[in-house]
Amino acid sequence: MEILKVTDLKKTYTSRMGGAQVQALKGVTFTVDSGEYVAIMGESGSGKTTLLNILAALDEPTSGSVELDGKRLDTVKENELAAFRRNNLGFVFQEFNLLDTFTLRDNILLPLVLGQMSVREMEGRLQEVTSMLGIKDLLNKYPYEVSGGQKQRAAAARAIITNPRLILADEPTGALDSQSSAELLRVFSRMNENGQTILMVTHSVDAASHANRVLFIRDGVVFHQLFRGHASNEELYKKISDTLTMLRTGGDRR
Amino acid sequence: MKHGFYFKIASQNIRNNMRLYFPRILTEAGLLGCFYIMITLSLDQRLSKALGGAYLSAFMGFGAVVIGLLSLILILYVNSFLMKRRRSDYGLYNVLGLEKRHIIRVLFTESLITSLVSVLAGLLFGMLFYKASSLLICRLFHADAVAGFYYLSAPTLAIAAVIFIGMDFFAFAVNSVSIMRLKPVEMLSDRHAGEREPKIKWFVLIAGVLSLGAGYAIALTVRSPLSALLLFFAAVILVIIGTYCLFVTGTTFILKCLKKNKRFYYDRRHMPAVSGLLFRMKQNAVGLASIAILATGVLVMISTTVSLYSGVQDTVEANYPQQLYLSAYQKDGGEIRQISFDELNRIVMEASEDNGVEIRSIENTRMLIVHYLTRGNALLTKQEFEGSWSPDELTSAIYITEDTYQQLRGQTYYSFDEQNLDLNGDEIAFCRIMSTVHDLGDAPKTLTIGGKEYRVKHLLSYFPVSSNYGNVVDVVGIVVADETVLNGIYLAQKEAYGENASEYATRIAVTFADEEAMKAAGTDLEHDIVNRLKIAFPGELSYTLDTKWESLHNTLDMYSTFLFLGILLGFVCLFSTILIIYYKQISEGYEDRERFQIMEKIGMEAREVRQTISSQLVLTFFLPLITAAVHTVFAFPILLKLLKILMLSNTMLFISCTLITLAVFAAVYTLVYLLTARTYYKIVH
Repeated sequence: MEILKVTDLKKTYTSRMGGAQVQALKGVTFTVDSGEYVAIMGESGSGKTTLLNILAALDEPTSGSVELDGKRLDTVKENELAAFRRNNLGFVFQEFNLLDTFTLRDNILLPLVLGQMSVREMEGRLQEVTSMLGIKDLLNKYPYEVSGGQKQRAAAARAIITNPRLILADEPTGALDSQSSAELLRVFSRMNENGQTILMVTHSVDAASHANRVLFIRDGVVFHQLFRGHASNEELYKKISDTLTMLRTGGDRR
Repeated sequence: MKHGFYFKIASQNIRNNMRLYFPRILTEAGLLGCFYIMITLSLDQRLSKALGGAYLSAFMGFGAVVIGLLSLILILYVNSFLMKRRRSDYGLYNVLGLEKRHIIRVLFTESLITSLVSVLAGLLFGMLFYKASSLLICRLFHADAVAGFYYLSAPTLAIAAVIFIGMDFFAFAVNSVSIMRLKPVEMLSDRHAGEREPKIKWFVLIAGVLSLGAGYAIALTVRSPLSALLLFFAAVILVIIGTYCLFVTGTTFILKCLKKNKRFYYDRRHMPAVSGLLFRMKQNAVGLASIAILATGVLVMISTTVSLYSGVQDTVEANYPQQLYLSAYQKDGGEIRQISFDELNRIVMEASEDNGVEIRSIENTRMLIVHYLTRGNALLTKQEFEGSWSPDELTSAIYITEDTYQQLRGQTYYSFDEQNLDLNGDEIAFCRIMSTVHDLGDAPKTLTIGGKEYRVKHLLSYFPVSSNYGNVVDVVGIVVADETVLNGIYLAQKEAYGENASEYATRIAVTFADEEAMKAAGTDLEHDIVNRLKIAFPGELSYTLDTKWESLHNTLDMYSTFLFLGILLGFVCLFSTILIIYYKQISEGYEDRERFQIMEKIGMEAREVRQTISSQLVLTFFLPLITAAVHTVFAFPILLKLLKILMLSNTMLFISCTLITLAVFAAVYTLVYLLTARTYYKIVH
C-alpha cells in the first residue's frame, strides 16, 4: 500500500532581488509503501533538504504534488497544518531539537500533550516507546545531562510516540559518533520491523545501508535507486559505495 | 593601523547594534540630566534666595547622591548585558587576526563614542529641563518665578560630565579585563552551556517567608507613630530581603508544585509555559525582584509626598487653632522666674497695635506638661518604671488647675462638658486629647500619678488647652483641684527627673481678627514682639514664639522639597524600571527564539506559540507590579502612622493619592510592556 506519493515535484528559488533563479528540485517522482524503510542520498546541494522540507509541509513546492495516505498536502488548510504534521508525521533532526527546559520525559510527551491526550494514555505509550528505545532510565534527565546518542534516541521516541504514518529523519546520525550511530540505526531498524514507515535523508553510506531501498538524488532529480533484495547490510553498503563512485565519476544511467 | 580604522569599525558596530545602544545612550543621558538638575538646584544661590528654602539645597544634594549611585548600578547592568551580546563579535575579530589590544582599542573607541554622545545629550537635556524644574519648584513653593531665571555654571556641567564619563570608563575597564581573560573560543561561543534545572533552596525559601512575614507583621501591628518611625527601616529591609528570597526560590517552588500536578502540567496550555518560566525565573529572579522594589519605592515615594504636599493647609490648620503662641520665662541664677500673663499680654497687644493688626482673643494658660510611661491605670516616671518599655507606652500629660479651666472654658463656644468641676484634692477631670494607643482605656475610673491615686470625677470631651505637641505620642489633659495639687505633681516629677524635669509653662495663644492682615504683618510683628520682650526683661531670657504663618511657610518649604524630590526620584526609578524591562525582553527574546522554533517544528501551532509566549511574558512582567501593589497595601498602616508624625491625618487624602499613583504607574508600566513585547515578538519570529 502506498503511503507517500511524490509526483513531479519542482521547486524554484528566486533570489530576493528578483535576479537569478535556482532550481532546487527539477521534477522528483517516487513512492513509499507502508512499512518501507527508505534512505535518500545525495551530496550537499542536491536538493535533499528542500525535498524533506516539502514532505514535512514546512515549505511549498512550485509545482507537483505530495500525497500522504491519499491526501494531497496542498489541500490541508493553513491552520490545520500544525495538527496534521503532529498527527501524521514524526521528525528526527540532525541537531536533535530537544527543548533544554524539558526533561526527556516531557520532550517525548510534548506531541501528545499538544494533541491533548489523557495523562494515563500518555504514560502507557511512554512505557512502550521508551522500553523499545532503551531510554527508560533516563526519563528524568535533562538533555544536557545525557549523551548525543541518548538525545537522538529520545528524539526518535518523540517522533514515534504519536504513531505517525511516516517518520522523516534528516541526517539523524550526522551529529553522532560511530558507536551511537550504530545504536541509533539498530533502533530505526527495530522500529521498522515493528511496521513503522521511515524516510531518512542522509549522506552516510553506513546509515543508508540499513534501509530497504536507497534513492539517489543529484541536481534535483532522482538519479538512481537501489533495492536491498536479499542483501545483507554489508552487501548493500558495498553496492551503495559503488553507486556513489559511479555517480561521482560522471555516470549517466537511470 | 590607522586611527580612522578603529573609528570606522566602532561607529559601524554601534550603528548595527542600535537596538542595544540606543536605550543605553538614552538612559545615561536621562540619568545625567536628572543628576545635573539636582546638583544645580542644590548649588543655585539665586533660587534658594528667591525661595528662602533651607531644605531645598540639602535634600537636592542627597537626591544627587542617590541618583549617582543608581546610575552606576544601571550603567554596569546595561554594560554587562551589552557585553554578553557583543562578545561573539569580538571573538570573531580575534579569529580574523586582530590582537587583543586591537580589540580593546575598538572597544575603547566604541565606549568613547557612546559615552560622549550620552554625556552631551544628557547635559543638553539637563540644561533644557533645569528651567522647567525651577519653574515647577517655584510653583510648588507658591513663589513667583524669577524672570529670566536661567542658571548655567561651568563647574556643575563639568562635575556631571566628569562623574558620568568616569562611570563609563569604569565599565570599559571591566570589559577590557573580561576580554583579556577570555580565550577566543570562549568569546565565540556565547551559548550558555547546559543550564541546570533550578533547585529549591529551602533555607532561602524559609528565610524569605519569615522575613517578608516579619516585615508585614511590623507594618500591620505597629501601634504608635513613634514606634513606626523606629521600626520603619527595619520593616523595609525585611521586606526587601523577603522579596529577593521569594523571587529567587518562591517562584521555583510554586512552579515545581504545578509541575508535580500531572493533570495540570500535561496540558497544552500549561506545559510549555510552566517549564519555560521555571528556567526563566532562575535567570530573572533578581532583576524582577529589583523591579518590584523600585516600583514599590516609586509608589510609596510619590503617594506620600503628594499627599503631604496637598495636605499642608489641613495639617497646619489642625495644629494651629490659634495663630500665635508665646511663652517665656527668665532664669535668675538657678531659679526660674515666670513672666506674668499681664506682661505678656501687654507686649503682644502693643506690638499688634503698632503693626496695625487687630486681636480677637487671647488665651492665657499656665500648665505643666510631664512625660510619662503608662502601665495599667498609672502614669509613671521612668524612675518608677521597672523593666523595659516600648515607645507605645509614652504619654504626655498636660495639667491645668480648675481655675485655669474655668477661665479658658468661658472663652470657648464648646460647652457639652460640666461647667463647674468642683474637684476635691484627690479628684481630677480627665480628657483624652490625642490618642494613638489605648493603654489607659477610654474611661479610667482612677488614675495613679506619682504614686498617688486620684479619682476621675469627670471625663471631658474637650480640653481647652490646645496641644501643638505633635501626634507622636498619646496626650492626655488633666484638670486638678488647685495650685497645691499641681505643685505636688510638679515636685514629684522634679524629684524623679532632676535636670530633665519639666517646668511650668506660661503660654498665651493669640487669635487675630483678620488672618490675612496678620500674615502681611507677619515677620515685622514677630520681630517687634521679641524686641519688646528683650527690652522689658533684660538678662537671661528664654522664650518660644511660634506662629501659624511661619509654620505654614516651613512646612510648605519642607513638603515642596519632598514632593519635588519624590517626583524626580520617582521618574528616575520608573526610568530604571523601563530600562530593565527593555533589556530583559531583548535578552530573553534571543534565548527563547530557538526554543519556539523547535516547538513549531514539532507541531505546535503558531497561535499556540504566541499564547505561550504571552502567558510567560505577562506573568514575568506583571509579577513585580503585583508585588509592588501588595507591598504598598501592607505598608499602608505604617505609612499612615508615619504621616501622623508629619501631622498629616487625612486618611482619605492619602488613600486617594496612593490609588491614583498606583493607577498611573500601572498604566505606564503596561504601556512599556506592550511596546517592549513587540520587540520581543519581532526577535522571536
